[in-house]
Amino acid sequence: MMNATAPTGPSDRNARMADLLDAAQGGSEDALGQITAELSPMLWHVARATGLNTDDAEDVVQTVWERLLFHLTDIRFAPALVSWLVVTTRREAWRVRSKGRRQLPAEQEWLTAVPDQAAGTEEQVVLDEQQRALWRAVRQLSEQCQELLRIVAFVPRPDYQSVSAELGMPVGSIGPTRGRCLAKVRALLADELDGRRA
Amino acid sequence: MKPSDDPLDELLDGTDFEILDDTDFEILEGIRAIFGQVDPMPAGLPERVRFSLAMRGLEAEVARLAAEEDSRLVGARGAEQSRTVTFDSTSLTIMIRIDSNKNGTVRIDGWLAPPQRREIELQNPAETLGASSDEQGRFAFADVPQGTARLVVRAAEQDEGGSGSAVVTPAIVL
Repeated sequence: MMNATAPTGPSDRNARMADLLDAAQGGSEDALGQITAELSPMLWHVARATGLNTDDAEDVVQTVWERLLFHLTDIRFAPALVSWLVVTTRREAWRVRSKGRRQLPAEQEWLTAVPDQAAGTEEQVVLDEQQRALWRAVRQLSEQCQELLRIVAFVPRPDYQSVSAELGMPVGSIGPTRGRCLAKVRALLADELDGRRA
Repeated sequence: MKPSDDPLDELLDGTDFEILDDTDFEILEGIRAIFGQVDPMPAGLPERVRFSLAMRGLEAEVARLAAEEDSRLVGARGAEQSRTVTFDSTSLTIMIRIDSNKNGTVRIDGWLAPPQRREIELQNPAETLGASSDEQGRFAFADVPQGTARLVVRAAEQDEGGSGSAVVTPAIVL
């Protein structure tokens, strides 16, 4: 399937994030800057996954980082940082949304950004066949599953567990049953493959 | 997974995530790649975040400069400058006396009111110096380079999370 670039080992990343967190708590603005550079994309996608428009999503990301300053010394280790950020971003995004302005589905321009068939004009995003198949599968999921998978996809791998627990939506559920959102994607992808073979 | 005595390590290693297999991770990577393309974060956002954070400083409680006075002590060694600066925040008053050392550095003697044990940091652009206040709230930095610096008063080591939030002073010139 997709070739993921080899991630640095989870332990390396944890050690590095732990060091950055330590340094940021010690007052290093540079360390805090590195943390924000690394994790802002995650916050962006969490905010956008709730249906916020781009301006509001930017505001939410800013707000969450500012709020972190007040909680920085309470956060003990890197996964706690990530889950705090995800939960706070999601909550703040919903708060902004509930103010009732600008939440039309039409604002979700990314929903229409990807053509179902071949990539067309240069304005459109170019995805390969596998990605288009995956996209079609994801688009058939419930909104909740789409949101969850979008969030988790941007969470650093070692932090999946604490984040999905915080969200009350296990990604890979406990025990032999696979998380229903991922299971559904796999089933849809398998269907598509069968369809193509038939 | 490697065995570990520290429950924290177990969490950090994501031990429980064995249940996701390679296909799941590929799917998640694929979703990440797609959303990264169809709805990317605005390129300038991290920089804007960084800027707004730098403006706010790192701490919850910001002390303000409450008083400052210079006095010339005329002693055997001749005129010697001493300066007293007081900072106020909602939970703490921090008073420091700044005396010049012969070698061009300065000495700082400080008091916290109400008196309490805290970890004190003196941050300048180059380094962070550490000290602890005693039960009377006294602390000292014997040898501090001249220049801009600020103080950060944190919870004492032994009662983390206990006695109040960190307090940061505005930067002053030593």
